[in-house]
Formats: sequence, structure tokens, C-alpha cells
Amino acid sequence: MMKGFFKAKPKTPTELVRHTRDLLIFADRSAAPDIKDAKRDEKMVELSKLIRDLKHILYGDSDSKPVSETCAQLTQEFFREDTLRLLIICLPKLNFETRKHATQIVANLQGQRLQSRLIACEYLEKNIDLMDILIAGYENNDLALHYGAMLRECIRHQSVAKYILDSDHMKKFFEFIQLPNFDIASDAAATFKELLTRHKSTVAEFLSKNDDWFFADYNSKLLVSTNYITRRQAVKLLGDILLDRSNSSVMIRYVSSRDNLRILMNLLRESSKSIQIEAFHVFKLFAANQNKPQDIVGILVANRTKLVRLIADINPEREDEQFDSDKTQVIREIAALELNQ
Amino acid sequence: MAYEEREDDDPRKAISINQHYPLDSNCYKILDEIGKGVSATVYKAICIPMESSVVAIKAIDLEKSKADFENVRREAQTMTLLYHPNILGAHCSFTVNTSLWVVMPFMSGGSLQSIIASSYPYGLPEPCIAAVLKEILCALSYLHDQGHLHRDIKAGNILIDSNGAVKLADFGVSASVYESSLSSAMFTDVTGTPYWMAPEVIHSHTGYEFKADIWSFGITALELAHGRPPLSHLPPSKSLMMEITKKFRFSDHYDKTKASKNKRFTKSFRDMVGLCLDHEPSKRPTPEKLLKHSFFKNCIGLDHFLIKNVLQGVPPVEQRFKSKSSDEDDEGDDDSSTGEIVEHGRISGWSFNGEEFELDPVFPADDEQVVIQERGNEENVEGCYAGSGSVGGAAVSLLDSMLFLRESLDDQRQRVGQVIALLGGHEWGETRREEQLMQEILQLSDE
Repeated sequence: MMKGFFKAKPKTPTELVRHTRDLLIFADRSAAPDIKDAKRDEKMVELSKLIRDLKHILYGDSDSKPVSETCAQLTQEFFREDTLRLLIICLPKLNFETRKHATQIVANLQGQRLQSRLIACEYLEKNIDLMDILIAGYENNDLALHYGAMLRECIRHQSVAKYILDSDHMKKFFEFIQLPNFDIASDAAATFKELLTRHKSTVAEFLSKNDDWFFADYNSKLLVSTNYITRRQAVKLLGDILLDRSNSSVMIRYVSSRDNLRILMNLLRESSKSIQIEAFHVFKLFAANQNKPQDIVGILVANRTKLVRLIADINPEREDEQFDSDKTQVIREIAALELNQ
Repeated sequence: MAYEEREDDDPRKAISINQHYPLDSNCYKILDEIGKGVSATVYKAICIPMESSVVAIKAIDLEKSKADFENVRREAQTMTLLYHPNILGAHCSFTVNTSLWVVMPFMSGGSLQSIIASSYPYGLPEPCIAAVLKEILCALSYLHDQGHLHRDIKAGNILIDSNGAVKLADFGVSASVYESSLSSAMFTDVTGTPYWMAPEVIHSHTGYEFKADIWSFGITALELAHGRPPLSHLPPSKSLMMEITKKFRFSDHYDKTKASKNKRFTKSFRDMVGLCLDHEPSKRPTPEKLLKHSFFKNCIGLDHFLIKNVLQGVPPVEQRFKSKSSDEDDEGDDDSSTGEIVEHGRISGWSFNGEEFELDPVFPADDEQVVIQERGNEENVEGCYAGSGSVGGAAVSLLDSMLFLRESLDDQRQRVGQVIALLGGHEWGETRREEQLMQEILQLSDE
């Protein structure tokens, strides 16, 4: 390198990342600022500025678009050592604005490629415990939205999503998405949905391995929740999951359970039209199942009149031919049911 | 810049304040309704455990939102993550049955749109405009630096509190360039309120960036100066605007009104607005650059004083809302409902006329016949249009009759409204209503 010739030149991305790393190590070690410490403050201001600069390299700014070569250098240096980890664990020590920049950097790095390799994915596979830190963020009001946004980017990598699906963290999401703070609850719900829909084969594998506890919790904690938004999101997501071709065997098992049917029938009776409509999309699978167990047939026949009337009354706000034809078919199916003694 | 000054602030300040506001509807007592849209109502309320401090609560009807609540989530998070003196943030948000409550600071002055409507029908004095716009530029500078587009800048979204502080509000249609679901900084969905929308937003096939906010900022400047946005004497439907602007050319609408007849604007004001309304987005200045414009040089320190002057004698926001709701014709203020019309509209072009200080419609050329097709069954726009760029003789002769008509346009709109009401037009949908409006207008022009 001919560094000497270019003293006036702005720092290279590599140098910027190194300098950031040094300051992050400092921030990580230094205690909380109980007393005014001018020297520490100075370093933290410098760190904030560096993080901001890094973000501008990755995203460009009002005058310039990002340069892929520069981004590549930055990415390479970031993952050469443990800068990503430092940035994540030091987040609580950064100020409000800098936290947002840091979040955007972490998010952006997930998609950067070096010789077509997703370098962030390789790094996270070796440092998968970082996901534990990010998920725990949902329990901290100050960090939840930042860690949540990072997390959603990280689970774009299939192996990372698989790690979380296979972990005990999945159970915690049932609590997170019902937190009273809407910002955080809805963020957790978005992540939960992403985990259960993004990587088809991984999701199918997770569901078939875990469908006993998963759907039991899903029913008891989400579908019968007292919280309207939880019920509505849950029944919508359930429909998305069950209607996905790759989950067909899970779906068949789901619609063969009378407990599940009961819950869906109750959702059909909700006063919320939106919930009724989403519930119908799941309910129709019970009716359409060509190998209905006898107890399912029994429930449907016993409630036939009520169900037909209820379903006939469900009408989406906008005209929807598909919905109408589904309705007709479900009603026909239920009407034709006979009990085999 | 404003955000840099705040670097040394305690980072947790904003958040720890938030934590004090309870996430329980029983802790709030609603006093008055102060705003209403299609899917949200805004109330003045007090927070009982916090020494009965006054807050505003926006209650969003979730039954009217899509089930993934993506928009609602984004709006709520945006309000939490943006922290700037000129941006209306949220104290907290939580669900109450089928509503989402967003608890916000109460802005007792209400929106500039409502202030103008109640007390300044012919626009604000120029120094006040400068003071207000300067604050909004600070907000925009911060917002754009954060990677956010506001996408609905207008006087109706500029709020004032009792101290004269000016805040940009309503992030219901804002977007972030950092959201990974958006592949780049270009957006292609049509959002916003028609009069304030930049051409490249309307011609959405090209996508748009931050500069669209600058255009809307320029239109907002005109709105504050004249008391209403340009072309607002037409109903807020883009397809109708297209029909009319294709055939007729409006000259200055404003100088017909008595009070603004002799209104003179300084050269620096006209120049500033002209820069914002450049048709080429890349030529429009950034908020930082605009802040250095001579128009904003003289309003340092005077801001609050001037705004307090503006507020003097203006009835309280809850009173204004009540008198407005009893008024039938509240079109233009209700962003939610106008926003809905935007969804299936289409557009014309227009250009800024520096001399007249207003916006002129532009005849679309053949090669830029832009049709945003969101619904298949809308009326055919291209069919009606004859020349490209040249104003034909027929158009010129029609101009005279249109000039005459313009003055009675408000009357016409009322008449049309009555016709529509008689025919039960609301159920017929947008297309039907627009056809009727066009017929009415054409009929009138034959008279």
C-alpha cells in the first residue's frame, strides 16, 4: 500500500472499520458513565461519527450512490474479525441516533456478497449465539426495535432461521407478540411470521417435528387470546401456513383434529368481520378434506344448519369471486355430509 | 444540523419519557374529538396518572387495516424511532379492543390547514410562512437523513402547539429506504394527497425518491401563501384533473380572489418555491440547501413570536373541528379519505409559473401518456386527447368559457354533490362519479 502518498485522502473503508472496532472495544470495556468523563465522551462521539460514516458508505447519501467495491472492502474487514459482534453487544452503550445507524449497518451487511458468497451468513453460522442476544432484545424496551430489525435481516439466511426454529426461543415468541407495547409486539409478530413462512423446507421440517406442542400452544395462547390483534394475526398466519403446499402433511393432520375444528368454529362466530374471513380460509380446509375422520364429520353434521347460515353471511368488503366460489363449495360439502354409523 | 446538536443528549431521554405513559386505556380520559379520517379518529385526552397532562390520542380502526398490520406497525415504529423537535413523535401505542391507540403530544394550535381555513382564508403573511417552513425543513432534513420519506407533506400535516413549536405529523404513508422489503431507494406505489403530489410520484412508473417530498414542500409553500393548494378548486381526483387539464389551460386562479389580488410576494420567496417545483427531481434542492436560501435568512429567532401571532385569535382546535364537522364540505382536509381516491386515479402534469406564483397545468405530450392502471374498468383517458403539446384553437376558445366557469366552480361542485347524492352516487364507485362530474362540467360549459 502506498499510504504515505495519500495522507490527505479520506480513510479507506478498511481503516474506518478498524478504527470503529478499536473504539467499540473501548466502549465495551468502559463502565457506564456515572461520572462525567471527558475523554470517554470524546471517544464515544468519535465512535458515533464513524458508525454514521460506515452507514453512508453502505447506503450512499444524497450526493452519491454506494460503490460496490468500497462496500466489499468494508464488509471484508467487518467479518475478518469480530466487529459485528462488538457492534451488537455495544448497542446499549450507543446513543439513540447511533443505535439506528448501527442497526442499518448490521441489516445491510446481511446482503453483501464477496465473490458471490454471503459472508455474513458464514459468520453468523459460527457465531450463532448472537441470535440469542438479538432475541432477548424483545424483553428490553430500549433495544427491542433495533435488535428486532437486525434479527429479521439475519433470518433471511436459512441456516440462521433454522437455528431459531429449532431452539427454545420459539416458545418465547408466543409471549413477545402479546406484549402490551404495540411497537414491540408487532415487531415480534413480524419476525414470528417471517420465521414460519420464509424458508419453506425448513418450516415444513420444523412443523412436522414439533406439531404437537406448536399447534397446542398456537391454539391456546394465540387463537383464543383475549387480545383482538393477536387472534387476528394468528388466524391469518395459520391460514398462510396451512395453505402452503410445502406444509400439506401438517395441514392434513391439523384438519383432522376436533379440538382444532372447535377453535376455528368459534373464530367463525367472532363479531370481527376480518377475523371471520380469515377463519373461513382455515375452516374450508376442514370441510374440503376428503378423508374426514368420523368425529369431524359428526361435529360438522351436528352444526350443519348453523354453519351454513354463518358462512353464507360472511362477505368480504370487496367483491371476491374466489371467496364466493370457496363459500359455495364449502356449503355444498357440508350439506352433502352424511354420518356413517 | 439539528440532529447533530442532539448527539450529546442523553440517548435514553426520549425513551424514558415514553415509558412513563401507561399502556392502558383506563389511564386516559377522552375529552374531545379533534380530527377524523376514514380509519382513524384523533381525540384530545388527559393521562390521569401523569398529573392529568393533556395528550392527543389517534385511535386507528384495525378492522380497516390489512391483517399483517404492516402499515400500522411501520407508522407506530416510525413515530417511536424518530426523535426531533420538529417531528410529532408518539409517547406510546397499544391496542384497545379493535383499535390501536397512539398516544402523542397534544398540539393545541392544530394544523396550519385548519388555522388558515378558520382565520387566514387568503393565506399567511410571508414572514410567518418563512418561520413555519424553516421548521419543516429542519424536520425534513432529519427525516431524509434517517432514510425516511414523508410522502404527504401539506399544511394539514403541519401542527403547532401552544408554545408555537411547529411539528410535522402523520407518518401513515411514510416509507423507509432501509426497509429490506424495498429493494432500493425507489418507490413505485402511489401514495399521498393529490394536489401536493410531485409529477414523478404520480407518474409512478419511474419511481421516486426524496425529492418528491421537496415538491410537496413547494406546494405547501403555495398553500400557505394563497390559503389553498394550487388547482384545489378542482375536486381531488387525479383522473378528473387529467381530463380538464388536457383540454383547458387555467391561468392564474388566485388573483381573481379579492384579498389576494394585490398580494405581492418577495422575489426570494418566489425563487425558493420555484426551486422546489422543478420538474426534474434531481434539480430540486435538498432540505439543507433550502435552509441556506435567502428566504429563510431573516426569520432566525422570530419563529415562535410570529407563530404565536398567527395563533392569536384563532379558535381552539376542538372548536374548529366541531364547526368543521357541522360543515358539509370538508374535502381536502381529510387525508384518509382523499388518500383513498388517490389509489385509483391518474394524472396530468403541471409546471410552476414563477411570475404568477402558482402552478399551471401542462398538456401531456403524446409520448408521455401515462396511465396508472390500478383498476381495469376506468374510463379511457387517451381517447379524449387530441394534440401533443400544442394548444389547439378549440382549446383557446374554450379557455374563455373556462375562465368564466372557474369562478363558479365551487357552486358547481355543490350542485354536482347534490346530483350525486340524489342518484345515490356513492355506491356507484369512483368511475361513475367522475363521469358525472365531467358531464356536469361539460354541460355547464355549453350553457
